[in-house]
Amino acid sequence: MKKKLLAVALSFAMVLGLAACGNSDSGSATNNNGNNGTTAESGDNGSAEGNTVVLAMGAGFSTLDPGYVYEKYPPLIVNACYENLFKFMDNESAAEPWLAESYEFSEDNLTLTVKLKENVTFASGNPMTSADVLFSINRCKNLQGNPSFICDTIESMEAPDDYTVVFHLTQPDSAILSKLTYSSLAVLDSKVVKENGGTDAADASTTDTAQAYLDTTSAGSGMYVMTSYKPDEEVVLEKNENYWGEGTNVDKYIIRIQPDANAQMMTLSTGDIDVAMNLTDDTMSELKDTENVEILNSASKTVGFVMMNMNEQYGGPVSDPKVQQAIRLAIDYAGVQTICGEGTLTPYSLIQSGFMGSKDPRPTDYTDVEKAKELLTDAGYPDGFDIDMTVSDLDMEGVLLTDLAQKIKDDLAQVNINVNIVTQAWAAGYGDAYRDGTLGFTVMYWGTDYNDPNVQLEFLPGQSVGLRAGWTAEMDPELAPLYQKAMEATEDDARIAVLEEIQDKTYESGPFIMIAQAPAHIAYNTRLEGVAISDPYAMDLTLINVK
Amino acid sequence: MDQLKFIIRRLLYLVVMLLGVATLVFILTKLIPGDPTVANLSQRALNDPKIVAAYKARYGLDKSYPVQYLLYIRNLLQLDLGTSIRTNHPVLEELGRCYPATIELALFAIVIASVFGILFGIISAIKRNSILDQAVRAISVTGVSIPSFWFALLVLYFFYYKLHIFPGPGRLSTNFSAPATVTGMYVIDSLIEGNIPKALDALSHLILPGCVLAAFTMGLITRTTRSNLLDVMSTDYIRTAKAKGLSGTKIILHHALGNALIPVLTVIGLGLGNLLGGMVLVETIFNWPGVGQFAYESVMSADFPSIIGVALLIALNYMVINTVVDILYGIIDPRVRCS
Repeated sequence: MKKKLLAVALSFAMVLGLAACGNSDSGSATNNNGNNGTTAESGDNGSAEGNTVVLAMGAGFSTLDPGYVYEKYPPLIVNACYENLFKFMDNESAAEPWLAESYEFSEDNLTLTVKLKENVTFASGNPMTSADVLFSINRCKNLQGNPSFICDTIESMEAPDDYTVVFHLTQPDSAILSKLTYSSLAVLDSKVVKENGGTDAADASTTDTAQAYLDTTSAGSGMYVMTSYKPDEEVVLEKNENYWGEGTNVDKYIIRIQPDANAQMMTLSTGDIDVAMNLTDDTMSELKDTENVEILNSASKTVGFVMMNMNEQYGGPVSDPKVQQAIRLAIDYAGVQTICGEGTLTPYSLIQSGFMGSKDPRPTDYTDVEKAKELLTDAGYPDGFDIDMTVSDLDMEGVLLTDLAQKIKDDLAQVNINVNIVTQAWAAGYGDAYRDGTLGFTVMYWGTDYNDPNVQLEFLPGQSVGLRAGWTAEMDPELAPLYQKAMEATEDDARIAVLEEIQDKTYESGPFIMIAQAPAHIAYNTRLEGVAISDPYAMDLTLINVK
Repeated sequence: MDQLKFIIRRLLYLVVMLLGVATLVFILTKLIPGDPTVANLSQRALNDPKIVAAYKARYGLDKSYPVQYLLYIRNLLQLDLGTSIRTNHPVLEELGRCYPATIELALFAIVIASVFGILFGIISAIKRNSILDQAVRAISVTGVSIPSFWFALLVLYFFYYKLHIFPGPGRLSTNFSAPATVTGMYVIDSLIEGNIPKALDALSHLILPGCVLAAFTMGLITRTTRSNLLDVMSTDYIRTAKAKGLSGTKIILHHALGNALIPVLTVIGLGLGNLLGGMVLVETIFNWPGVGQFAYESVMSADFPSIIGVALLIALNYMVINTVVDILYGIIDPRVRCS
């Protein structure tokens, strides 16, 4: 009987061993030379004749319907499967015409006329016309989803002919071209989407049923077609055989939703994936000496900030401008950068580095504890004070806001401000209090909606984020009008001038201290070229080639 | 006939219990702080009353709690668990998507835990107080006490990253496409497709997460088997068997093990129920798209229909497993059947 038991145990071990060997055989095609995924010798993934690139990215999204997408990663997929009238060709340049052939603003900047390219076809083979553009933008607007606000300045649209779209704006909008690059305003194949329940009618928020379809495949004119989307697992993109433009040599993308940074680091090292999108500082250092791996670090446009409520009822001592300046001087910006990791920047003030008109980063030696103490004495707090800092459970690109709050607490202790950190879940009270402007003192972050400095204008007095800090337009009659001025400054020079004025006026005053632009960490296999961090798209898959 | 009555009675309990669980979880989700609108709409969208109103209307959040409850129960009786606030897809469809992955992993883990747990328990009892016994006990204590997320990272680091023995995260290697869904369990579906290499690949991906998940239950099974076997071995009928001159192995396998395994069955059942509820951290580390990950994302999004759906699924798991265990009790021990 002992022998029988042994036999059972050995059989079980053999099954496991066989399974392990089975995998190592199939995996060896991908692991030995670092050219993972290029061929599928023993598999059946349909990539035997072409290049397949495997990419791992974070989670936190639940739909790939362009009308609803808003989070960080969906633009990566939408940009590969759909196209917009305008596009950012790289992280530095301004929005350039893409599906648009040319464009023209009226004298009063209230009308934008866009001529469309005439040779564009969707993956279905349908030609793209102005009706598709109208449908897509109206659908996004009327779905009343997260990104609908992007259409706020679009009063109406008309299509005088098949290849002309006229936008009538509610006011001059210096960011309108940037907004038209946003994934939610991608041009959909209206015929296909309508056939699958889509509508751009005013009641689209209750009558549109196309999301289920657009979560299984794409209906755009982009270089790729989404052939599979398994939520929280993977997305597969395959080359659009009907692509109207020039493609790259990547035939297929397998995009794994793999939120754990350690798992991404290991799978990249072993060659199971080609690109790791959301690594942490620790995992990056583990990869530094890895063969065939290239690392990219740079500041993203996601910015962390300290908010001090201007309303004394909520802010108490931090509503005093002198105290606000003292806190600005007491923060150890270099230390904050260390916590956030390599690639972190401290923006000059309200506008992040990298945006048009942004000034050089705030110097890390800006800190002056003695001067901060003097200011506190002038403000009537020679012995400092006690204050609660409410912090949410969120993280900024992997950096916990509670860690940043702890750093602020330590820094302020140097000037005798005793901070008591109170944590509160975002969805369980913090979000409401933040939106209602009842938080006195907090650390929060802000991710850019669309890639344009105008997103930061919301921090000005009287605007949505400004009001969360109790900062009304009446409190700063010099600064508040700059919102409208920046919105209407459609010429670059005038725009830069007003953006610089805003930054100068908020460098040493105001309820917001921008403490860090979070870093983005990406690592990839050197068999690829054209891999770059992209603020608008996370990464532009249409620029990547296999060497 | 008795057995049939027993099963029918259990099924009736099941319906009542599920309604109770649904009610309780519904009340709890409304009592705890957490606003799905704040959790799911962006900072910008929250500023726009039109968007907020449209969002609330879409998911019935604009109705009073009693109305929401009545609608929920009415739909539940029609087997409609509602629409996920996070994904905008039917909850039943979402559970149908992620549950097979969890079942596959849980079954694999429970088989490993049961086979090795019982084996180790027997060895430990036979070789009581020997070095082998001490070693097995040390393994079982380690299995019970080691944090699963840490163990998961550890095995991934050594067996995948350093030694390249087992495959890494995910359910299949990238050179295989997912098999056509029949059961949702990749090993079985690959076999149905007739694709042996794919089935082996899927099986190999189960090994590391399966072993990590098995560790805890295996420890419990080992300890329970050992202690029960030792108890049974000191009873009179075993002494009688020894006096009759039966061999040690025969006594254990034919006379002692059957009785000793009854409590072990309970442990296995509870362990399986626990595994079927999904293990968030292990699923996250191994990129396993199961119920655990779904539950985590649902909680983070205050996605109440999905949270209630997962709670019902977990309750259903335990109730079905307990029923099966009770039936198995009767098969193993006729005295239970008589009572």
